[in-house]
Amino acid sequence: MTQTKKIVYIALLVAQALVLHIVERMIPINLGIPGAKLGLANIITLVSLYIFNFKDCFSIVIIRTALANFLAGSLSSFLFSISGGILSLIAMYEIKKIGKENISVIGVSIFGAVFHNIGQILIAAMIIQNLRITVYLPFLMISAIATGFFVGIVVKFLLKYLRAI
Amino acid sequence: MKKFDKIIIVTLLLISLISIIVLKMPKENSQGEKYVVIYVNRELYKKISLMDNNLDKTFKIETEFGYNIVQIKNGGVNIIDADCPDKYCVTDGFIDQPGQMLVCLPHRLVIEIKGTSNNDELVPDEISY
Repeated sequence: MTQTKKIVYIALLVAQALVLHIVERMIPINLGIPGAKLGLANIITLVSLYIFNFKDCFSIVIIRTALANFLAGSLSSFLFSISGGILSLIAMYEIKKIGKENISVIGVSIFGAVFHNIGQILIAAMIIQNLRITVYLPFLMISAIATGFFVGIVVKFLLKYLRAI
Repeated sequence: MKKFDKIIIVTLLLISLISIIVLKMPKENSQGEKYVVIYVNRELYKKISLMDNNLDKTFKIETEFGYNIVQIKNGGVNIIDADCPDKYCVTDGFIDQPGQMLVCLPHRLVIEIKGTSNNDELVPDEISY
């Protein structure tokens, strides 16, 4: 992939992540658990993980969380998404390396979604200086398994077409 | 779906279900004294004993972040209104068991119910107020 093509590709992925972020905010879905959401923007992180190397994925995650929170968000929501985003990226990268042929994009997605929640809970515990908030984690994990599963399926179909480009 | 996918799903589901069951188990020493402890921005704001079931008190906690209206009733506590964007603290409802908590992250508000078993954590005593 040439340098120019790569830059265009990254810009496109970031723009799509921003649209997904805004669309997700419009969906009035309440899973009944504080902090639980669909995680549509994780589609972009997953796609980039299968196309680019770790360094490029990292910059995509940073740019998309920063821009998304400039558009709609606040400093604390930025802290939550960046900690969750980076932790889930590292987790997905490692599990993909360990699993190799034995793991599909669905497993990677679920693993990343769960680690996204772990990152968020850790930041929340730091902000309020109270570790008891981790009692929310099991509930968040169950929602992450479900949403991560569907995000994984979406990416599986998406990659089939993207690989042709 | 490959081998590792199934392993990941099953292990994560087991971990979360087991921890939910453990958390839902009734605490043995819930008979002792019960306190509601309110923290705002990491600092102790108020400590109220819940021993009197008839205690009926509603007050407003107002900070630089916004307000929360807290109601103490029937030996438990509930946030009945707040001006935070998501209002999770309000929808979380009523709590009355030691170990339960209500959190309003945008307002840095933590309301915890503590039993006598972890009394040591309550730093200031009644005389401080």
